[in-house]
Amino acid sequence: MTGDSENLAALVIYFLVVLGLVALILLISHFLGHRRQDAKDYHPALNEPFESGVVSVGDARLRFSAPFFLVAIFFVIFDLEVVFLFAWVIGFEESGMPGFIEALVFILILLAGLAYLWKLGALDWGQNPKRRLGRVAMLAAEKAASAPTRDENTPETL
Amino acid sequence: MNTAILIATVLICLLSLAALLIWLERRLLGIWQDRLGPNRVGFLGLGQVVADMIKIFTKEDWIPPFADKGIFILAPTIVVIAMLMAFAVVPFAPDTSISNLNIGLLFFLAMSSLAAYSVMLGGYASNNKYALLGSLRAAAQTVSYEVFMGLSLMGVVLLTGSFNMSDIVLAQKEHGWFVFSQFVGFIVFLVAGIAESHRLPFDLPEAEHEIVAGFHTEYSGMKFGLFFIGEYLGVALISAVITTLFFGGWLGPEFMPPLFWFCLKTFIFICFFVLLRAAVPRPRYDQLMMFGWKVMLPISLLNLLITAALTLARAS
Amino acid sequence: MTVLLFYVAAAVAIVATLLTITRTNIAHALLYLVVSLLSIAVIFYMIGAPLAGALEVIVYAGAIMVLFVFVIMMLNAGKPTEDQERAWLANTSWRGPALLCAILLAEMLTLLSGGIGGHVSTHVSAKEVGILLYGPYLLAVELASMLLLAGLIGAYHLGREDNVEERPKS
Repeated sequence: MTGDSENLAALVIYFLVVLGLVALILLISHFLGHRRQDAKDYHPALNEPFESGVVSVGDARLRFSAPFFLVAIFFVIFDLEVVFLFAWVIGFEESGMPGFIEALVFILILLAGLAYLWKLGALDWGQNPKRRLGRVAMLAAEKAASAPTRDENTPETL
Repeated sequence: MNTAILIATVLICLLSLAALLIWLERRLLGIWQDRLGPNRVGFLGLGQVVADMIKIFTKEDWIPPFADKGIFILAPTIVVIAMLMAFAVVPFAPDTSISNLNIGLLFFLAMSSLAAYSVMLGGYASNNKYALLGSLRAAAQTVSYEVFMGLSLMGVVLLTGSFNMSDIVLAQKEHGWFVFSQFVGFIVFLVAGIAESHRLPFDLPEAEHEIVAGFHTEYSGMKFGLFFIGEYLGVALISAVITTLFFGGWLGPEFMPPLFWFCLKTFIFICFFVLLRAAVPRPRYDQLMMFGWKVMLPISLLNLLITAALTLARAS
Repeated sequence: MTVLLFYVAAAVAIVATLLTITRTNIAHALLYLVVSLLSIAVIFYMIGAPLAGALEVIVYAGAIMVLFVFVIMMLNAGKPTEDQERAWLANTSWRGPALLCAILLAEMLTLLSGGIGGHVSTHVSAKEVGILLYGPYLLAVELASMLLLAGLIGAYHLGREDNVEERPKS
């Protein structure tokens, strides 16, 4: 395929030009940029992370909770599903009715998975105790609910 | 040689467009919010674009000492490069695209998925808590909406039988604009596009009322400028792709050249993006995520199935 | 032109992969891995498998690597892991695997120079892949869907926070 290599060559040239352009922009700003001349120009707060004027405690190497991680996993799995559907759609006319039925089964299996996760509350964010705690802790929370404590309800920023 | 001229033209146009969009957005927002916007520098305030450029170029090239230097510089360039690369497959007029790839649509999707690295790495390298929170949000949002961004386009591919962007435009000559036959796909793609480019109302990664400026809290000068250019290029890209896939691309009445129709339609969508910013409030983050997984994903799957079933029924 | 492109892409892939192994900072290593995957995507496109190339970027670079970056952002392994990583690299433990890999490489090179592999340039368009997947290989696709389903459910049950008691109160 000669057209293929031509297209690829154009793409590669374009990529190199874009790369050069971005590098140029950064270089220009590096050379044109204002420079601090002396200690007068310098402020100690510059060397601290900006937290709206609050003095930073610890560094940003925090650990985050699982919801973000689950989203990433679900994304990878559904992205793979989408990739299979790409292949179906491009050959749709040729694969015809059998292809359609196959894709239907494929989609339904994954929709079943989605429905299952939905029912379990895996797609809910934030305050839903079902989702945040899992079943074992949910039972514990129910037990605790008879003797009310406000502990489980502390708001959590996402 | 032809390609060289095209590349140069496209790059010059895109970069000046990105700069111009900052002015356009501020003017339009001004009008819609019943104020003036920047109108002092030059004709209609257009000189503001130049003034802003000079200002941002002469800002200090500051890298915080606590940041991961290499990644800190790399992050903002990724979004600009990815967005500019994605424009390579957009057909501006008949036979006028930098690279007429057979898998053009997949190339566009690949580039927009790579753009996700920009915000993630930017937040990670900043070593700032707000930046990290913002970039985690951004990443979760981008990946969630990416799934059905691809799915929403599959209806169009199904009707065309090709990933090639030019073929898709040409197919709309017979089928009519795909916005009619693929209305659900269009809506889903529009929403996903807004979320992917982190535009209001889906700009929670940089929601200034809760997490300072999100992933670019520590960025300043031209590196911040690159994030900004990337955002506006993203808006232009999504508008151009919507035009190409759903609104007939360069097709239009004969009395004007095809390029004119393409630019006009794209411009209308860019203005629509600005209008969204002026008109729609931000949702809450959990609402945004649930909306993606619980509403948009099933809808786009159903849309694809129904399109396929109808096409099969019509064929037999 | 194409041959030159191939060698450049291949060289980038090899160098990036080597750097992936030798970097001690996990974020840097991942970035090199992404570069390596992208150059392999270019090679795929060049040898006539455009769909494989596109999917390499969308799935590997765009999804799986994003997951990896996600995880390092969340776990935020800082200086301690870097030191650990450095200790591993300095250790003699990599010599055994490296030797075995070298034997495999030598074997592959002899095979390739014998002309068994050679330059194959059959163009497989995206359409052909689709027709095959949703024709003769339909069972494989359905199996894949079951596998994905298992992954989905497994990930949720492994990833949720059951032991809320042990979690440090923040």
